[in-house]
Formats: sequence, structure tokens, C-alpha cells
Amino acid sequence: MKIKSILIANRGEIAIRIMRTARRMGIRTYAIKTAKEPSAWYLDEADDIIDFSESLSDTPEFLDIERIIHAVRENNIDAVHPGYGFLAENPIFARRCEEENINFIGPSSGVIYNMGNKTVAKDIARKNNVPLLRGSKGTLLNADYARRFANAIGYPVILKAAAGGGGRGMRVAENEEEVERMYNLASNESAKAFNDPAMFIEKYVAEPRHIEFQILADKHGNIVHLGERECSIQRKHQKLIEESPSPALDPELREEMGNAAVDIAKGVGYFSAGTVEFLLDADRKFYFMEMNTRIQVEHPVTEMVTGIDLIEQMIRVAQGEKLLFAQKDIRLKGHAIEFRINAEDVQSGFSPSLGTIEKISWPESKNVRVDTGVHDGSVITPYYDSMIAKLIVYGEDREKALQESSNAIRKFWIKGTKTTLSFCRAVLQNRNFRKGYFNTSFLSSELKIHYHSEPEEEMLAAFFAIYDFARDLEEAEGKKLNVDKGKNITPWLLNKRLR
Amino acid sequence: MDVNGRNFKKFLERQQIFESQYDAESKKKQHAKGKLTARERIAILFDENTFEEVDAYVSSAKSEGDFGKIKGSFGDGVIIGHGQVHGRLVFAYAQDFNIMGGSLGSIHAAKIMKLQDMALKMGAPIIGLIDSGGARIQEGVASLAGYAGIFYRNVQASGVIPQISVILGPAAGGAVYSPSITDYVFMTNKTSYMFVTGPNVVKEVLNEDVTFDDLGGAEVHAKKSGVAQMIFEDEENTLMGVRRLISYLPSNNLENCPETEPDDDETRDVEEKLRDIVPDDANKPYDVKDVINLIVDKRSFYEISERFAQNLVVGFGRLDGKVIGIIANQPKVLAGTLDIDSSTKGARFIRFCDSFNIPLLTLEDVPGFLPGIDQEHSGIIRHGAKLLYAYADATVPRITVILRKSYGGAYCVMNSKNLGGDFNFAWPTAEIAVMGPEGAVAILYRKELAASEDPARLKKELAVKYRDEIANPYVADEKGFIDEVIDPSFTRKKLKSAFLALENKYVTNPTRKHGNIPL
Amino acid sequence: MWIRERILPPGYLINVYDNRSVMAEKNKGAKNTRKSRMIALSSTEKEYVFTNPLDRKVKYMGETLQIKLYEDPNGFSYVLWKNKKYPLEIIEKNQNRYTVMLNGVWHSFTIETPFSLKRKKFLESQAGTSSSVTIDAPMPGKIVEVLVEEGADVKAGEPILILEAMKMQNEISSHVDGVIRKIAIRQNDSVMKDDLLIEIEKH
Repeated sequence: MKIKSILIANRGEIAIRIMRTARRMGIRTYAIKTAKEPSAWYLDEADDIIDFSESLSDTPEFLDIERIIHAVRENNIDAVHPGYGFLAENPIFARRCEEENINFIGPSSGVIYNMGNKTVAKDIARKNNVPLLRGSKGTLLNADYARRFANAIGYPVILKAAAGGGGRGMRVAENEEEVERMYNLASNESAKAFNDPAMFIEKYVAEPRHIEFQILADKHGNIVHLGERECSIQRKHQKLIEESPSPALDPELREEMGNAAVDIAKGVGYFSAGTVEFLLDADRKFYFMEMNTRIQVEHPVTEMVTGIDLIEQMIRVAQGEKLLFAQKDIRLKGHAIEFRINAEDVQSGFSPSLGTIEKISWPESKNVRVDTGVHDGSVITPYYDSMIAKLIVYGEDREKALQESSNAIRKFWIKGTKTTLSFCRAVLQNRNFRKGYFNTSFLSSELKIHYHSEPEEEMLAAFFAIYDFARDLEEAEGKKLNVDKGKNITPWLLNKRLR
Repeated sequence: MDVNGRNFKKFLERQQIFESQYDAESKKKQHAKGKLTARERIAILFDENTFEEVDAYVSSAKSEGDFGKIKGSFGDGVIIGHGQVHGRLVFAYAQDFNIMGGSLGSIHAAKIMKLQDMALKMGAPIIGLIDSGGARIQEGVASLAGYAGIFYRNVQASGVIPQISVILGPAAGGAVYSPSITDYVFMTNKTSYMFVTGPNVVKEVLNEDVTFDDLGGAEVHAKKSGVAQMIFEDEENTLMGVRRLISYLPSNNLENCPETEPDDDETRDVEEKLRDIVPDDANKPYDVKDVINLIVDKRSFYEISERFAQNLVVGFGRLDGKVIGIIANQPKVLAGTLDIDSSTKGARFIRFCDSFNIPLLTLEDVPGFLPGIDQEHSGIIRHGAKLLYAYADATVPRITVILRKSYGGAYCVMNSKNLGGDFNFAWPTAEIAVMGPEGAVAILYRKELAASEDPARLKKELAVKYRDEIANPYVADEKGFIDEVIDPSFTRKKLKSAFLALENKYVTNPTRKHGNIPL
Repeated sequence: MWIRERILPPGYLINVYDNRSVMAEKNKGAKNTRKSRMIALSSTEKEYVFTNPLDRKVKYMGETLQIKLYEDPNGFSYVLWKNKKYPLEIIEKNQNRYTVMLNGVWHSFTIETPFSLKRKKFLESQAGTSSSVTIDAPMPGKIVEVLVEEGADVKAGEPILILEAMKMQNEISSHVDGVIRKIAIRQNDSVMKDDLLIEIEKH
């Protein structure tokens, strides 16, 4: 059934990204307005706005399933695209859409449930003979149980929230003493973020690469992978820089891992776009980690090297169309890198940096794509994640892409908040990164200083500080004070002053 | 005249002895404490080569009996005189720690009193650079009498000429009261202290260990006690700060404030940014200093008591070169509520501005008074009344701009129309009512809410209705309690013309000795 | 005279210096701030000495420099140095303490005169004996848990409290070995940036 209208149950850059493709396909778009950012840019891009400004319950707007369902019904909207985060991997939401006969642009609720529960996901991988790491089969009862299990499989271990994602609710314990503290930290965080304190544990692979495969499947059993994304540049499991293809893979390994990814997706009866995440260790052995049943933040790098619009494909699949290409038609051409530009203070341990984006500008070029949800005057709120833009740079090969990236970042200016741009520069300066030798421990072991500044830059900054200080002194010292006027006091005023 | 003659020889001899008091040795001693000498301080404070010393050669009093010998000196440990700051006459005294620890003897005190009398006669500001060990024990009651005489003159001069105290070393015991009467107290971090009883006494009486810095350092007085309005990291910045403050002040209560040539162009009259500063969400904080800086001339805002009672921002600024005093609620701190500290801070600032004919601008975003047992028991009623009294008693031009919240008693206090506000403006974001929507709804619809199936939802719906019908600026506008609801981006322009209209404001308060402010 | 900071024409130069007009408008006897020597002391104790910072010929460590400050029509300020543009802005300033963001990296300085620098060094050498360090809140947030008690021994890198900000629980750890001298906050307190959290007496 053809989709004529879509509600985007999301905000920021991904909402804008989805709306643009939808509009190109002639589909009417609806956005949700919240009181938290009532003048955000994504609202301007939508054809229609559904107003959620009056908060009627304590559930955050983008998590309020019944309110969203109600809005879709009321406005006769055909479909919902959840974007990433929020309700994107919430099986209850997908189930409610199915019940209400709303086209949920994503996989079925059953698949979301199975893959969302990491222990179920692992069973499916095991059945399909995809390599796995040793770990607990189910969730752990308590910290003590975690400690005993960790002792059995050996250290280091990683504690993960069963419902987790995006790095939240995950902690590594290096030894027995740390297990309990890390268990509590991760569990509390998960309880807050996902309303579920359940944890599981597995062997921790030191210094692995994080490689993920983009999957695309239709409702007719056709399934392809669109190559991999290298996401090893991370900080505390938060991806910061992603690229495609990975410098670590050769065609053979790519085929092997790609097939494993397709097997898993097939095993669960997957349709729509999805991502299978693997760890790749130093011996080039790979292990299945999890499957993300949604569009990923870093999907643009895949789009750049394959030329396929993933959002468009998701919508087509949701309409019941067949994929127009098979695995042999997929070619990875060139190299693409994505830099996440977050409002974070790199120099103070990546702490969030709130404020207003006073100005933002970037170089326009055919090899540069910027996905962003902010413009001049946008406010960074504490309510949502800190990402303000994604800079995606394309080059014929990795070398050219890196060169292009350095230029683009130099000309990417943001005023009003601290950002991770200085971090991106530091990574680009690193020789091992340039050579492609890196893994997930890059930040802690390789990049000792997380920002880059040329020696002369501090001198220029020092000059500016002194210049401004001198200007302030000048304000007090250099201005002519007109005191004469005060001497000509009219009797009228004099009378008043001597009351 | 014969330069080799007896008379002149004596003159040179005296001068030599006098100068020897300020040798390299004494300079080194002072620098070794991280402090400047009294002469160096004066050189920074005044315009180059304008300071003229008075009474340099008076000698110390002789000791009574044998109890401690007074090492006689010229000047008795204090330099007094006059000079120019930005080309304007200013009187100053500087205590010299190198001469008998800057202790206050009878002659020392007499010199300061003489200077105070002069400053009052000439109608020029007086600045005290304080670095003194306290009363001179050897002189006994004579030195105490000296303090009292200084206090008396401080009070006489209060509201007539600006008085500024700069604490650059210790100020202990009775010595602290002169600064506290004066209009502004400056301190330098780490090298200046003020306390009535020192750490030794605290240790003796209460057996508690406390360091000089923790008991009466600059940080403590700037943040906790509010005694020091301005603190700086070093003496040069402290003294330059004093110079800057003086550039805003008239020399006396009859003079107008010094004006500058405005160098802001007319494009500043429309400031689009002001439209976006107040968040739509009524509970979201913002920095009111951003608003101030967008309204006043560039770089002209000079904040007073920056660290004390941060929920109320006060300071001087210029509007087209003319000085105004600004009082603004700070939503960023304690949601901008008024408490004891902010009330007294605001009241004292308003009293100063009124004394010296400085027009007042109030930027209001106040949800009310800070609730709490501690506040009530410590007398928020008494202290809040000071702010109210200060506003109502002020005869200078008074303008209020309501930026957002203006609720209940706090509405009345913050220079409301019927408290004598000359122009009361409001931004469209203003909410003027007896109380906030949540509270009002809970009282007015108690029964309905109790009976409702979903009280939270009903409460929210009613709150929306309340905002639409009552808590907005338009009701007040239509009743005349607001003169105009203005577009935020035109605030500077509106204020400029409003203050111009009020330039010759003249009101009479009843004749009386003085009012009885609830101290 | 500094005409305006809001710039109309594209690429407006903001540090223009017209000697004559300033001299004419200046107060008699006012301090000459243009000729003075100022030192920017970086957080890593590096000293940048400039003379005549407002002059056309700025002197840096005895060398005359051509540094031009511009404001472009988009509202970015930038400095032009050796034909390269560096965007910059002041992100914090308080009296003589500055934090300047240049090309995405922030640098902190205190602006000193020769004497105040001397004094500072002197006071620091004196303070060497008192050895307490403070842990301040790196960001506004809520204290979820305090992991130590007053008087407890801590090692560098040991977590001492958990601060929740932007839905993340951040472990704040000690950066020195020492004894907890004072805990200034309690569980569930909301803290502002730079609020004092904990004081540690160094070993």
C-alpha cells in the first residue's frame, strides 16, 4: 500500500533527513512540536506540525506511545518513522502500530523484541553458527552472581544492560574488586535510561575493532548487505567517527562477515534496514555482538559509498515493494568518513556543553555532506543527546577522503558552544589513524591529548585575551568623561536634590 | 634665597629623613608579602603626577609612661592627600604598614579626620587604602577616640560624597567599621583580611581552629558575608577597579554623573537577540546579565557584589553615555527568588543610587520570595521590607521592565507602578499575577481537582487557561499597571527615551528629619 | 578610535587604531593602557608577553607582529595570521581571567602585569606548604552518590562521587593522593558549574 503521509516520531537532524527523502517521494510529513525546543529547525522542514507543547503527563513526548498513536489516528497519517533512539527499538510501540493498522517503517514488533533482548539475539546467532563471545546466557540476578560468573570466564569482563544501547549501562571490570561497583553503576544507569536494571555479562575482548554491517531486506525474503562501517573510534562506547569501507577488511573477510550478518537477519525474518554489529579482534576473528533494528546515526557513510538512499529503501520496503537490486549489484565505490560533531567539552573529559549555537557554517562542496538539526540561534538543551551535526566527507580513496576531511573541518566554524571538532582534528593528525591502524582503545591508548591545537594558536588566543582586557581598561580609562554638565544644575534640580 | 643657608638646609635634612622612611628595604618587605607599598598604591590609583601629599611631616605622639616605646616617625604611618582620577578631584589616605604596622595612633587618626573634613567641604570622593595592624596599643584611649572620630565623619559624609574603602592588608577590630559604613569595600584576595575578632580570639573563646582566610578573607566577605562588594586577584587590578567605579560616580550628591560620548551606533537600538533570550518554558533559567549587556552600552556594565546573593544582580551601566543603576533578578540562581541577602544587597544599592541621583532600571523576573523556615526565622519579613522601603523612598527616575515572572508580594516590591515606578514596561513573555499557575489552580479548583479522575491532566489544562486569562501582561496593561507592553528587541530604544523624559523628574517627600527604614 | 564592534561591511577589521582621534578624546592624565606591557599566563604556566596590545604595532616577546582581527558578515570573529583564518570567541571572562576559544580549542589565561605576575609566583611559592586541592563541579548536575567520607584516604584516579548530567552518570575521581578534608555537598544536591564539591588534603 502506498504511503501518502508519515509522522516522524523524532527530532533534530534525523527528522530533517527523513523529511527530505519523504518530500522527494511526494509524501506529506508531520513533525511533533515539544515545549523543550519549540522553535527547532526540524519543525520548519515539516509540512505539518502536531503540537505536543502542553505536557499532559510525565512521559517525555517522543516516548509517549499512546499520545503518538492518537495523533496519527486523529490526523489520518499512514505511517510512522521512528528514526533512531526514542521509540525506534521499542517493540511495544511497533506492536501498537500493527494493532492500529499504522505502517511502522521498520521491522516487525516480534523481530524488534527478539533482537532487543540481547540474550534472545545471541540464541539466534548461535543457531545460525555465527561466532559469539563467552558470556552469561540470561540476565544476572545480582552483583554477587556477576562476580562469580566473571571469575569463571576470566577477566576482563564487560557488564551490559540487557536493554542497553548507545553506550549507556555498560561497564568494563578489570578484576574481581571492580565487578560489584561496575555492576551497580551500569545497572543504575540502565534503570534510569531504559527502566530496566537487568544486566548480562560477557568476556571482554581487549582492543577490538567495532565493525558493523548494513542490512537491507524486503518483506518478500530478499536480503542484501551494503558493506560495513568501521566504528572503532569511540569514547566510552559512544561512536565518534565512522567510515566505510573499513581499512581492516579485505574482500574475503568482508564476504564472510557480510554473509554472517545476512544469515542472522534471515534467521529472524528481518525486513527493513538494520545493522549487525561485530567485534573484530587482533587475529581478525569476528564475534557477533548485537543487531540494531533501526536506521543508524552513521548510515550516511554507507549511502555515500553505495549511492543508495536508505530512508527511501525503508519506506519502499514498508510499502511492500521488492528490493530492486541483489547482492551482486552492490558495489562499494570510494571512501566516506563521518565525524560526529557534539556539543561537548573535549578538554574537560567530553562533558556536555550547553548553550546557544550563535553561528554555524561549513564549506559547501560536492564531497561534503552535513546532516544537522541546528542553525544560527538554536539552543542546545539538556533534554536530548549532545550531537549537533554530522559531517560526512567523501573521497575516491581513504587518503583523499582524509585530506578532504582536514580541509572541511578547518572551515567548519561553530560559535557559541564547545564542540568535538578539535577532537576530530586531533584524530586526523594521528599517524596511526591515517594509516588505518586503530581499534576501540584508540582514545585511551593512542590519543593521549584529545584535542589538537597548533603551537601558534595559543599565542593568538593569548593576544586576543590581552586585547580584550586592554579594551576593557580603555573603556574605563580612555573615554572622555563629561563632568562639566553636572555643574550646570538648574534651580529646579537643585531644589529636588536638597529635599 | 640661599640654598646653602640654614633654613634651606633644615628643609633638605627633614626631607632626607622623610624619604628614608620609604627606602628600598621597606619596599622589599612589603613586596615580600605580595603587597605594594603605600606610595606605589597611590601612584596606581591616581592619574600620573597629580597626587599632592598633605601633612607629611606631622610627628607621632609621645608614649605615655614606659609601656612600650613609640618609634617616632614623620607622618605617623598614613599618607593623606588629594589628586585626580580621570581628571577629577579625589581625596585619599593610604595607611603604611611599614611604619609601626600602619597602627592607628592619635595623630594618624587626626590626619584621616582632617582629610575627611576636607573631602566633605570640597564635595569630592574619599578613598581609604587600608593596611593596618589596628589601634596603637601604646596610645590607649587616644587611638580609640581616633577611630570614633573617623566613624562619625564617615556617617556625616554618607550620601554626600562617595566613600570607598580598599582593604589591602589586615583590618581588624574597630578598624572594620569605617569600611562597613562607606559605600563600597574593595578587597584583594589572599592578602587582605577583615574581622572583628581574629582567629586567636576564636581559638581562645570557642576553641575552634580557623585560618585568617577562612575567617575573614576576601572570598568569605565577597561570597558569604557580603561585606566586600568587589574583590580582585591582585592590587593593581583592585586599584584599577576603584578607578573604574569612580568613572560612574558623581563627586557629590549635587552633581550629575559623568557622561561619556556614546560610541554605540543606532543599530544597537534594535537588538533581535533580546527576543530569543527568555525561554518559552517558564521554568527554564537564563542569564539576566545577557539581557543587561544587550541593553546597556557595549562594555559598560560594571557589576557590584558579583558573588554575594547572586540571585539579584546589581551594578552600573551606561545608556547612551548616561549612568544608570541596574537591579535585576537572576533566574539562573535560585530561580531569581528574593531572599534575605538579595533584599539587603538590592536595598543598599538603591539607597546609594538615590543618594547620588543615579536613575534606576529594574529588570524583573521573580517568582516570589524564597520560602523556608530558615528564611522566615531569620527575618525575611524585616529584610524584604528594606528593599521595598528603599524603592518607595527613592526619588530618582525609576523604570521597570518585567521580563517574565512577576508574582505576588515580589511584584509589589520590585518597583511596581503603585510603589512609584515612573515607567513600567513588560515584555510579551511577562506573567503578572498573585501567584504562579500551579499554585493558583490548586487553590481555586481544589474541589474539582479532588473529584477529577486524572487530576494531573486537569491541573495542567487549568494552568494553561490561567496563563491565557490571568498570568499575562495584557491584564495589567489594560488596567494601567503597566505603561506599555514592548517588543523586547526595542528595549534599549524605549529605555533611552524614557530616561530622557525623566531627566528632570522632581518629587517631594514630606519634610522630616529622616525616615525610619526597617534596619 | 574604536568605531564599533558590530560590523557592517564584509570582513571588517576590528583592531584599527587611529592615534589622533584617541588622543584628542582622552582624559587628561588618564592611565596610558596602550603602552603597557601585559602578560597572558596560560593554564600551563606559559607566559605570553605583549606590549602595546591596542596598537597597530603589537610587540610580542620583543618582535613586532601583524595580527589582524576581523568580524565577518556572518558574525564570526576571526584572526588573520600568516594568511590563515582562525575563528575565535571569548567564552568566559571574569576580571583578569579569560577563556578564549580559538579554532575549536579553548585556552585559559590570566592577564598579568609584570608586578602582579611576580606577586602571583611569590604567593604560589608560599602556598607550596599548604596542600589542599579542591574538586569543583565540571558541569551543572545532580549529585547521585558520594562515595567517600570525610577523613577517608583516597588515591589518584579513585572515584569519589557520581554526578548526573544529561542523563549520564559521571564518575568524578580524585586527581591526587590524599585525605578527604571536607565534603561540601550531599546526595541529591543540585550543583552549578564550578561549585566546590570536595576538598582533599594532599599527601
